[in-house]
Amino acid sequence: MKTSSTSKSKYISLASVIVMLLIWKLLSVYFGSAFVLPSPEKTLITTLNLFTDGNFLLTVGSTVLRSLAGFFLSALLGIITGIASGMNPWFDAFLRPVLVTIRSTPVIAIILLALLWLNPGTVPVFIAFLTMFPFICTNVSDGIKSIDPDLVQMARFYRVGKERIIKELYIPAIMPFIISGASSAMGIGWRAIITGEVLSHPKYGIGTLMQNAQTFLNVDAVIAWTIIAVIISYGFEKALRRVEHKLIAWRS
Amino acid sequence: MSLEIKGLFKRYGELEIFRDFSTSFPEGEITCILGPSGCGKTTLLNIIGNIVAPDSGTLSGFDGKVISYIFQDPRLLPWKSVMGNIEFVLDRNMHPAERRKITDKFIQLVELQNFTGYYPSELSGGMRQRVSIARAFAYPSDLILMDEPLKGLDVKLKLNLVQTFSRIWQEDRRTVIFVTHDVDEALLLGNEILVLSKPPAVVVMQNKIEIPVGDRSVDSDYFKKTKLKLLESLG
Repeated sequence: MKTSSTSKSKYISLASVIVMLLIWKLLSVYFGSAFVLPSPEKTLITTLNLFTDGNFLLTVGSTVLRSLAGFFLSALLGIITGIASGMNPWFDAFLRPVLVTIRSTPVIAIILLALLWLNPGTVPVFIAFLTMFPFICTNVSDGIKSIDPDLVQMARFYRVGKERIIKELYIPAIMPFIISGASSAMGIGWRAIITGEVLSHPKYGIGTLMQNAQTFLNVDAVIAWTIIAVIISYGFEKALRRVEHKLIAWRS
Repeated sequence: MSLEIKGLFKRYGELEIFRDFSTSFPEGEITCILGPSGCGKTTLLNIIGNIVAPDSGTLSGFDGKVISYIFQDPRLLPWKSVMGNIEFVLDRNMHPAERRKITDKFIQLVELQNFTGYYPSELSGGMRQRVSIARAFAYPSDLILMDEPLKGLDVKLKLNLVQTFSRIWQEDRRTVIFVTHDVDEALLLGNEILVLSKPPAVVVMQNKIEIPVGDRSVDSDYFKKTKLKLLESLG
């Protein structure tokens, strides 16, 4: 029963992709110019050609590495400040305006400032860090607040050591919150990284090549890089789901 | 030597819960503190467990005693299996194989050997409470404190848990002190029943039950007669 309904939903998702491709095709025929909208076939060929380009791995790898660096930096700081603000209402009150400010500042404003302060390679990392950090911090803080005080009391009564209470009680309890924070952070952070690369123009990066392609009106290449970015983002999401599944098996 | 409380005073604001309260608990027995809601039973348990400090009074015989707890709700870690939950409270200085052995033993005793790898969300309420009983006994304590461990369970489940509890206790003979406002619970589990009055609490009745825990029937005349007596003293 369950497998048939999931395979059915898979077919429907596939149909949705086909509809999107059809609309794309129709629009490209309507405009009739590869400088406005190239056809899906042409774009597919361009995408495949990108894979064979000598610098492909270096380009994609640089962007992925930047996003991972931004992600781990924000995860590390987000978890630490999240735990602190979840446990200490004063720190929570102190941190709230900071988070609101970061969250409501337009990404482009941060990029413009970062361009003045940092070198091209680190601008995207900084942007990714700033966009992801509030999500992880808020989620971890919510996770800490959701911990059942009765469980903590039980562990204390049984004289379980502090370190083990953190490792075996606090961390597993906030894990679902970390994962869901990471998932929203990844989605937003990935887009911010590429925006950052377009503007900061590091030597290697998806955003750099996207901007180059745009300058020379290679619309097919702009779209091809977009497709690659979407696929990578999808891969991140999948990997995260897998980690989630493994870590939160107890939630049945 | 028995555990003693002498001249205990405790008040919360205007409410005087204990005024010069004294009692004692025999070691190696199950003592039940029975009393109406709000009479300070849980406070007494918390004072014994050194969780709440008394205003004044002396407790003797409790020093250095290691205590395990059975709470009203099982308080299991949802991300740990039956085995993991019991093992969680065992000393890390112990060899892992030794911890495993103790855990297995008590899982057997509460008859959950087919569920060792199950998470709490996959168990019934009664099974979860059995895990918490196993955890309390597996912990190398001198004293077990219980706060209404059978509250909210139906009669069949209560009897079932009492059987499980008494089977382990018969072998173990650890000192148990538990509080309840439920007369049936007191009669099924207690060897020694202390009935407390409304605050400030005094012991209005003390009743010893000779029938071994686990062999008691709710339908017997003795049970019914004692129940009436206890209900009367509760007022």
